[in-house]
Amino acid sequence: MFNDHGHLNRRRFLGGFAFTSGAIATGVGSWVLRPEWANAAAAPIKVGIATDLTGPIAYAGNADANVAKMVIKEINDSGGLLGRPLELFIEDTASNESVAVGNVRKLIQRDKVDLVLGGITSSMRNAIKDPIVARGKTLYIYPQLYEGKECTPYLFCTGPTPAQQCDEFIPWLIKNGGKKFALPSANYVWPHTLNVYARKVIEANGGEVVFEEYYPLDQVDFSSTVNRIISNKVDVVFNTVIPPGVGPFFKQLYEAGFLKGGGRLACVYYDENTLNINQANEIEGLASCLDYFKTLTKDDPVSAKIQAAYEKDYPGNFLFAAGSAATGTYRGLKLWAEAVKEANSVEREAVAAALDHAKIAEGPGGPAEMVPGKRHCKMKMYTAVAKGGNYEIVGRSDGLVDPKEC
Amino acid sequence: MASAFAAAFEILSFGAIIVLVVLGLGIIASMMGIFNFAQGEFVLLGAYITYLAHSRGLPVWAGMAAAPFLVGALGFVLEALIIRRFYAAPIVAMLGTYALGLIIRESVRGLIGGLYLSVPEPIGGSIDLGSVHVSAWRFVIVVITLLVMVGCYLLLSRTSFGLRIRATLENPALARASGISTASMYGTTFAFGAALAGLAGALLVPVFSLFADLGIRFLIQGFVAVMVGGVGSFIGPVAGAAVIGTLSAALPWVMAPVVADILVFVLAIVFIKFRPQGLMSGKGV
Amino acid sequence: MAESGLAGLAPAVQTTPRRKILPIVEILTLAVAIILPFVLQDYLTVFATHVVILALFAVSFDMVWGYAGIMSFGQALFFGSAGYSVALLARDLDITSIAVVLPAGMLIGLVFSLLLGSFLLLGRHPSTVIFVSLGTLTGSYAADRLARGWYYLGGQNGIPSIPSMTLGSYEITEGPVYYYLALGLLLVVYLLCRFLVRSQFGLALAGLRENEQRIAFFGYKVQHLKAIVFAAGGAIAGLAGSLYAFHEGFVWPNMLGVVFSTQVVLYVLFGGSGTLIGAVIGAIIIEGVSFWLSDNYRDIWPIILGVLLLLVIMFRPLGLISFVLGERERVGRFGGRPKEGRHAAP
Repeated sequence: MFNDHGHLNRRRFLGGFAFTSGAIATGVGSWVLRPEWANAAAAPIKVGIATDLTGPIAYAGNADANVAKMVIKEINDSGGLLGRPLELFIEDTASNESVAVGNVRKLIQRDKVDLVLGGITSSMRNAIKDPIVARGKTLYIYPQLYEGKECTPYLFCTGPTPAQQCDEFIPWLIKNGGKKFALPSANYVWPHTLNVYARKVIEANGGEVVFEEYYPLDQVDFSSTVNRIISNKVDVVFNTVIPPGVGPFFKQLYEAGFLKGGGRLACVYYDENTLNINQANEIEGLASCLDYFKTLTKDDPVSAKIQAAYEKDYPGNFLFAAGSAATGTYRGLKLWAEAVKEANSVEREAVAAALDHAKIAEGPGGPAEMVPGKRHCKMKMYTAVAKGGNYEIVGRSDGLVDPKEC
Repeated sequence: MASAFAAAFEILSFGAIIVLVVLGLGIIASMMGIFNFAQGEFVLLGAYITYLAHSRGLPVWAGMAAAPFLVGALGFVLEALIIRRFYAAPIVAMLGTYALGLIIRESVRGLIGGLYLSVPEPIGGSIDLGSVHVSAWRFVIVVITLLVMVGCYLLLSRTSFGLRIRATLENPALARASGISTASMYGTTFAFGAALAGLAGALLVPVFSLFADLGIRFLIQGFVAVMVGGVGSFIGPVAGAAVIGTLSAALPWVMAPVVADILVFVLAIVFIKFRPQGLMSGKGV
Repeated sequence: MAESGLAGLAPAVQTTPRRKILPIVEILTLAVAIILPFVLQDYLTVFATHVVILALFAVSFDMVWGYAGIMSFGQALFFGSAGYSVALLARDLDITSIAVVLPAGMLIGLVFSLLLGSFLLLGRHPSTVIFVSLGTLTGSYAADRLARGWYYLGGQNGIPSIPSMTLGSYEITEGPVYYYLALGLLLVVYLLCRFLVRSQFGLALAGLRENEQRIAFFGYKVQHLKAIVFAAGGAIAGLAGSLYAFHEGFVWPNMLGVVFSTQVVLYVLFGGSGTLIGAVIGAIIIEGVSFWLSDNYRDIWPIILGVLLLLVIMFRPLGLISFVLGERERVGRFGGRPKEGRHAAP
């Protein structure tokens, strides 16, 4: 089983693991959390998390796992769901689809979980959705921003969609950047589909797509791309290159004088985690559009509470951020908990029916609502710009934005 | 004009990077006839040592200076313990070094926790020549590569140590009969090849960032470069690396990156098929 | 000069037991394999099927390396191409019938290996082992990059959600059914290969492996022999690839790539090349040990695996099977039993 990314469980116990409840590694392999008050009378409700604990987006996967632990602990501390304790099973998808499928099978067939939440990249979601939903007949919540068009029954998405990320963002970019766009992209499904939508919005607002290119995921040399951007006098680089390429790409762009010449970087998955990939001056003015930014804690008490709770339990390098599916994970688990309460059961049919119209009043960035029949989630969206290594909010949506999917 | 210059520089700097990585591989292949599947991991180790120095608060260039020596020392030890057994069977050598590389790669993965880590370059920013911006650090890499190559050439052609190496390269049996200890030659050569890889890794890590699979991508390019250039001499692998590196960097300017990626390898294999001895046949320097 | 390279590393003292150990090992393995689903939980049977398919893949490599001396670092190219082809058949043409997809997989594997094999092996000058190994390595790498970059094939994502293989209207899902299917196919292929290498053709191959030049001087067209075996290996790898695609439910570029190719090399090396059963045992042991280690020693299991492999390569390069089999059984028996008092040449 040699894979490009091995199968390793990152030592998450570093960084202040403040759980007092019995977190036991049961020796069955996956990471399991059982609350202290679990007893034989009330059969536990099992929640499975499948996320990238190792690999290029481990910074995101570990944050998601931490959020899950935090939410589950919170629910258990207030008595569990339906009087039953929640048990958390965490498996590593290792940014490797083959390993991921094997581990997800463990969650479904060996641990027999009632819900699987996870997957970050679209390729991961595509690989594991079949074992979970079709063969495993289990509910699946996908928490990350993505390209849309996922309409599989029993698969619920709690992250932003292209409509939520582009409809207000791109007009802002045209007004605050310019009309000429470049679309450098990683070669997989999310950039391809997002670019189709983005192009529509760009052209509808009077902008122009100068070029659209796709690169292998491990490409780290972007000299020809940078040259094309500079020589075509592109105003806005609407980037969908992901790690490991994005760091060298932004650096090379900076060194070629793109920012000095007045260009603007735009990247819809950029959050507080990714700010650390480059030096601050290399990404000055970078704009992003997400459902949550940490700077919101200054004026939103709910966000402040959630952020504080996370940072208390998990100080360290894995930040609570929206581009890394952490907010989607929070939202997804809370919505699911509401659905279980309404359905008064963990049977897939019943919970799915309740989840279809679930709402939460308190979430990171604001409340959230599932759109009935669409399995996607309405939420508030914010546009922010990176200044000196921190984000500054420059735009807020008027209310909850419609995901416009399915 | 400016963009042509920028393009030429980018291509040159990428070629230099490949040459640095391949040099060690080529020397080991020429000298001992084995393809070291762990060479990519020696590059990784060089990068890791540099990162380690940086994370402990030492200046980055100190880590870069230490990396070749540490990796070279490790190479020397490994050769004595393990690689020595494989000279009789080159195929088994490839697999043995693959297992070795696996161990090193997974150890580093465990140490850095599967993350992608960045290391700042000691000399950052860009050099502005008129309207052309050239990355200062890449320029330094090109300069260092040239110095290393010149140094190697001088070492091999002007010193008595180099003379002994060349003798062992051309005719091991005769060299042994003349009193040259081939065993220590092999050990030194392997260590030297490893040290070069360590240096390459150290210089590259600001450009590519540190991650556990850093070595794999260089491995294939390295082998192809050595085969294209010709095994058995010093200049052969260098020529091969220059060709492969230049092609890999230049082709994406004129075609889709994905096609360029594959075309380089296809062309290389076809070339080797029809000219098995490579660009530069013959042994010695 | 034996180009197969392993001859120089055989242990100095070779004990040649009178009894044939090989059939005993084979029958034991088969017996264990047959009863396995009855003692394992469902979830582990799925894992066992995975291993059986990989064992089939390993057999394809053993044919190529152990019997024809071709160090193919690119078997995954045929494995993965077949997998992708049947995935495309299922996705675009809705063809999932077992009667079509398995032969299609074999055909794809055969065609690709004929193409690559004739390019690498045939020609005016006989190709060196290094060239063939590097050529196959590059082929595998190039295929991986191509699949990664080609959006029609799903790019980086591969092709997910492949429907189940069907027999008429019956869906062959993962579990004991698929297990016995895979095991049955492995058995058939194994017996065919075993028959092949015990025949006159196999005798020529044995000669090829031991001393290529001499066999050439005898008039055998060495390159043609190699190409035939390479093609057979490709067909078997293709069969394994199509089984794998339907069992896992998705295909992705790594199936074509270098790591997968090297994996199968390590299975066979570990188990012992040139014995067919060695390939099967090697696959079982490595996959089983990896599985067990990854559950219990999560952080360091790849390192442990690497160390184990290195130890085997260093001290027992003929593989684990050499603990029980003598050198003579590796090469194979041909013709009748030797008369008492005389040793028949292998």
